[in-house]
Amino acid sequence: MGVLASLYRQRGLVAVLVARDLKARYRGTFLGYLWSLLNPLLLLAVYTAVFTFVIPARVPGAVPYPLFLFAGLLPWLFGSGTLLDAAVVLSDNGPLLKKVVCAPEVFPAVTVLSHLVHHLLALPVLLAATAAAAGFGLVRFPWTVALLPFALLLWVVATAGVALAVAALAVHFRDLKDLLHNLLNLFFFATPIIYTLDMIPVRALRRVILANPVTPLIQVYRDVVLLGRVPSVLMWAWAATVALVCWVVGAWIFSRLRETIAETV
Amino acid sequence: MSAPSAVRLAGVSKRYPLLTRRGRLHSLKGALLRGDLWRLQQERDGFQALSGVDLEVRQGETAAVIGPNGSGKSTLLKLVAGILRPTQGRVEVNGRVTALIELGAGFHPEISGRDNAIVNGMMLGLSRAEIMRRLPEIVEFSGIGDFIDQPVKTYSSGMYVRLGFSVAVAAQPDVLVVDEILAVGDEVFAHRCLDRIARLQRQGTAILLESHDLGLVEQLAHHALYLRQGRPVLVGPAGAVVSRYRSDVASEEAGVQVVSGNARRWGNGAVSLDGVEILDAAGRPVRLLSSGEAAAIRIAYTVRVSQEDFVFGVAIHRGGGSHVFGTNTELDGWRPERLAGVGEMVLEFPCLELAPGRYVVDAAVHSRAGLAYDYACEVTSFTVSAPVGWPGCYAPRHQWRPRGPAMLPPAG
Repeated sequence: MGVLASLYRQRGLVAVLVARDLKARYRGTFLGYLWSLLNPLLLLAVYTAVFTFVIPARVPGAVPYPLFLFAGLLPWLFGSGTLLDAAVVLSDNGPLLKKVVCAPEVFPAVTVLSHLVHHLLALPVLLAATAAAAGFGLVRFPWTVALLPFALLLWVVATAGVALAVAALAVHFRDLKDLLHNLLNLFFFATPIIYTLDMIPVRALRRVILANPVTPLIQVYRDVVLLGRVPSVLMWAWAATVALVCWVVGAWIFSRLRETIAETV
Repeated sequence: MSAPSAVRLAGVSKRYPLLTRRGRLHSLKGALLRGDLWRLQQERDGFQALSGVDLEVRQGETAAVIGPNGSGKSTLLKLVAGILRPTQGRVEVNGRVTALIELGAGFHPEISGRDNAIVNGMMLGLSRAEIMRRLPEIVEFSGIGDFIDQPVKTYSSGMYVRLGFSVAVAAQPDVLVVDEILAVGDEVFAHRCLDRIARLQRQGTAILLESHDLGLVEQLAHHALYLRQGRPVLVGPAGAVVSRYRSDVASEEAGVQVVSGNARRWGNGAVSLDGVEILDAAGRPVRLLSSGEAAAIRIAYTVRVSQEDFVFGVAIHRGGGSHVFGTNTELDGWRPERLAGVGEMVLEFPCLELAPGRYVVDAAVHSRAGLAYDYACEVTSFTVSAPVGWPGCYAPRHQWRPRGPAMLPPAG
């Protein structure tokens, strides 16, 4: 793939830009890097309070609902945050694309990677909370977490592919950003993040949710990181296919529009 | 003998699609509904920014692009920099290109000058190790001092530009594309920039610059390309091309049409140069001179429309475009009163101290504002001989005086 080869050649630049992104985000803030730990921690605390005392929600099985929600929300926030940033990353870096010779694929890649770093910084909160719940005997610690790198890889590949397409298309279609907001909202509720598949009463609707390509990716992730289930081979295959198709189509769209980016942005 | 080509443009045209027409490319909804998502690459009409441009810049040469606003200069520079692609024709660039199109473009305000220099350097194609090695030099040259570790948002606009320039030239480009750089920075820094550009020239960097500062173009560039509405008007030695441009500007201001014009000769015809001859010490027309002897250039003219505003000028240059000498009556303090009929203008050199080789002469008569009555490029040439083959252009009288070394004087 042309995009991948180009990114590999410029890995040094990508790394420096990711570091710059992270530095710039925390420069001048009192807590610095602690923020990326604190944000998910606060989120988890709020969910725990709300879904324990205000709306006592449950999911089938023994897993506490706040933890269940958190385990689905973390990868979702990573993906949706990446896409929303990808929609503006090329126009934000317009001066660079227009005035400096610079490969455009670098910027969506940097977006994906810096969001990934944040995600990796938030993961210990989830793991610590799971360990704590296991300590209180609420759940068994999910040793399947050893499979997390694979689940995360699939999610990253899918996100990166869609991010490439979104970045390139957003240059030509200014309204894509608004459309994306709505689409992401739709997908958030069409993916079993705040509920499980078993909770859907209507069978036809369950089919629709199951057919949603985001579903297997989120499910594989949550299965290994929290529920302690090893996903079936079929599930892995389905998730891997989605990731691969996202990447191939995204990279294809990007390389088709690549030449027009510097002129249009 | 000529150096390898660094930049070569062959029949280059660039057309920008007009995006706002019917606004259809701004709406994804429209694209999806009409299914014309992919048609944007086949857009037929648009704005023709450049057409049929040929240009070659060899290693170590400097070429300038001049012309009025909107003539396609920036588009040309961006094509060479690889930011844009030509619609037609070919752009060949050999080696690493650095574009000084907007200095400090992409500096991130929140992070330090040092980190920004690293990012910028890597964008210009340096590896991390290379940029780290050159960082002390960059900091030195920019004169930013301790501010290098402060966030860039605290910089003055001058510091911003200085750091940008320092990083760009530290990249040791093979081809440097420069867009109006010296319009920025203070006098001291402008001189350092010029010094640095001269050093890059000597190191063999091919430079393509765009400037409205015609004096700077004459000073820096060997060749120039004069563009007007995206079409090349004239390519050639910088001095001649700049004169042509000045003449066109002056005639536009005066509301006069240029009557005749081609690449070698142009003017409105009010005065015509009938002949330009090289004279030796005895006043005979010759083509061969001896270095250090008296010589003269005689210009014969005929006036069709009598003039009260006129300047005679002569330029001597080497075939390759490097300017050797140029002067005109205005520079030397002569004030015009009346020009009519037929006559001659003679420029005498009591002692023509030129190095051996072939020289080409341009002669012109124009208004003080630069409006050409008749401008003749390469109207004649002469060859200078010397007992010794000194390199260069200037051969002053000189004498060695050994004070210490034991040496034998030349025989004879």
